[in-house]
Amino acid sequence: MHKMRMALSVVVIFLGSVLLDADAAMATQAHGAPEGIYAHQMAHLFFIFSMGILIYWLRIRKLVKETGWRFIQYSALFFILWNIDTFVVHLLDEQFGILSVDYPDFWHIRIQPHGNLNGMELLYYLAKLDHLLCVPALLFLYSGLKRLLKETGVKANGVEAQ
Amino acid sequence: MILQAFPIWAVDLTGSILMIVFSFLSLRIVFALKKRDPNNVVWTYMLMFCFGLAAFAVSRSAGHILKQILLLSGHAAVWAPIRPFSGAINTFMFVFVGSVTLFFERVWNVYQQILKDKQVIQAAHEQLLYLNQNLEGLVTERSEALVLSEQKYRRIFEVSRDMILVAKKDGEIVDLNPAGHAMLGRDGTDRPITGCLFGQFFSKAEDWDVIRQKISKQGFILNFETDLKVRDGSNIRALISGSLDKGLSPDADTVLFLVKDIEERRSMEKQLAQADKLASIGQLSAGIAHEINNPLGIILGYTQLLLRKEKVESERYQDLKTIEKHVRSCKAIVKDLLNFAKSSRPKLEEIRINDAIEDVLGFIQHHSRAEHIEMIREYDHRIPPLMLDEKKIKQVLLNLIMNAKHAVGHQGTIKLSTELNAAANQVAIKVKDTGYGIEKNNLSKIFDPFFSTKPTGEGTGLGLSVSYGIIKSHGGDIFVDSEPGKGAQFTVVLPVL
Repeated sequence: MHKMRMALSVVVIFLGSVLLDADAAMATQAHGAPEGIYAHQMAHLFFIFSMGILIYWLRIRKLVKETGWRFIQYSALFFILWNIDTFVVHLLDEQFGILSVDYPDFWHIRIQPHGNLNGMELLYYLAKLDHLLCVPALLFLYSGLKRLLKETGVKANGVEAQ
Repeated sequence: MILQAFPIWAVDLTGSILMIVFSFLSLRIVFALKKRDPNNVVWTYMLMFCFGLAAFAVSRSAGHILKQILLLSGHAAVWAPIRPFSGAINTFMFVFVGSVTLFFERVWNVYQQILKDKQVIQAAHEQLLYLNQNLEGLVTERSEALVLSEQKYRRIFEVSRDMILVAKKDGEIVDLNPAGHAMLGRDGTDRPITGCLFGQFFSKAEDWDVIRQKISKQGFILNFETDLKVRDGSNIRALISGSLDKGLSPDADTVLFLVKDIEERRSMEKQLAQADKLASIGQLSAGIAHEINNPLGIILGYTQLLLRKEKVESERYQDLKTIEKHVRSCKAIVKDLLNFAKSSRPKLEEIRINDAIEDVLGFIQHHSRAEHIEMIREYDHRIPPLMLDEKKIKQVLLNLIMNAKHAVGHQGTIKLSTELNAAANQVAIKVKDTGYGIEKNNLSKIFDPFFSTKPTGEGTGLGLSVSYGIIKSHGGDIFVDSEPGKGAQFTVVLPVL
């Protein structure tokens, strides 16, 4: 009941803000350039949320006692870390323009912070290596599924043997 | 800050390729899982999940690789229009995979429910299969068990010595076992008892009402004593127990009665009570007789002494004679009482009972007029000589025959019979007359001392009491069967020693 009331409030506020915007009310809503990055960032947050939910249910249902599902749990965890990583990268260079990045030549990358934000360059540089998180995530998924295939094979043979 | 770009290019390219490889390998394994168990909804779910990831890996990695190639080859302008598509597809795939992931718990619950249902169906299927394969055998087995059970309970019903009666709540008889038919004096010629009311067999209708009320109230009745009417009009004493058997509906309720015939037991109890009573009277009589006998002897002695001194024609002599006569009479009564009380041991000697009866008959015919009375003799000549006190046994026979003669009156029949029961080692002597018989309420008193139905002065009422005492002192028994208007039969049972 409480959740429903919250959801209703969000919808009312959203509709209210849209309807009370005089400019927008005059024509079809325009979708300018910043919308893309906002939608993308929200997708990252949604992905983090859904992976968190997956971990929660895997643990509640005690599926993590089986190696296969445990590996899938690790995969979800690495996906969460990867999403945080990419979220930070997008935040720094595209969303808020905290840094400006360019490639002076093939072998080098120039990272320049706007303002006095020392240390952000190194954080950005490391965060750009995001495949170090998403590849292990897929590797754990693959391993987990492989283990499940093996376990179901053992069970099926066991049943047949019986 | 300027840093080396190579690690970024290298990780980006290698990672992109590995993402595609691992996502497709994962997809392949899920296909294998799905192939192994096509109906497993979890694998269907994982297939969607991996498909989303693979699509995401392709869109993202292809985009990254293409981007690097175009940028490195100096075609940044070409990448510019592709970039929004690549980003949008990436975003869409995120949302797709995330959305699919949210359904994991629901899918898992569905899968668990399916597993449970499957197990239940499997168990039911196996049971059905077993029943199907063994149905004939199971039916035969159950039928045989049912037949055996039916036979067993039918046998109990058939061979029970007590009446088993099944009736509806209103008393309508549903079934009655053979013992019940016999108890009620019914045979094959009677109309079927089914449908008759049990209540009509009760001598007292109120007893049946009590039974019905108790069963209706408490569901059972225990050891209720009552009289049941037998077909020939007589009554039997019965002990009734019954319990209500609840059916599927109130109309289907039945009452199961167990009825015991306690007529014989009651008769034996009466006989025992009679024997006890006679034994008590005997003890009392013996005590009184002993106390009276001595004074009587003294009175008789002094009377005889006084008689010697008196002249025969004197009035005093006649008075003394009267005293002597009555004292002797008293002494005879005392002697009879002692005989009844078995106080004197019989003097046993070997005698033939048939000859003894003949002697007594001869004596009676000699001393009293019995010309219109028919004497029927039925002697069993197999009877061996018996060890008896001849004088006392003859006294018993004399009492019985004289009683019979008195009962018959001027005309009638007296039947005298003897019978050897070799199995019981006993001899029965029966004296049967065609007189009026004995009233039912007098039957229990006839062996009591001084009980007599004869007019005052005609009998002392000690004849049968004395006979009872003599027979008991010989280890035998005496009893009577009689119905008013049908004569009486006295039976003396003596042991063959």
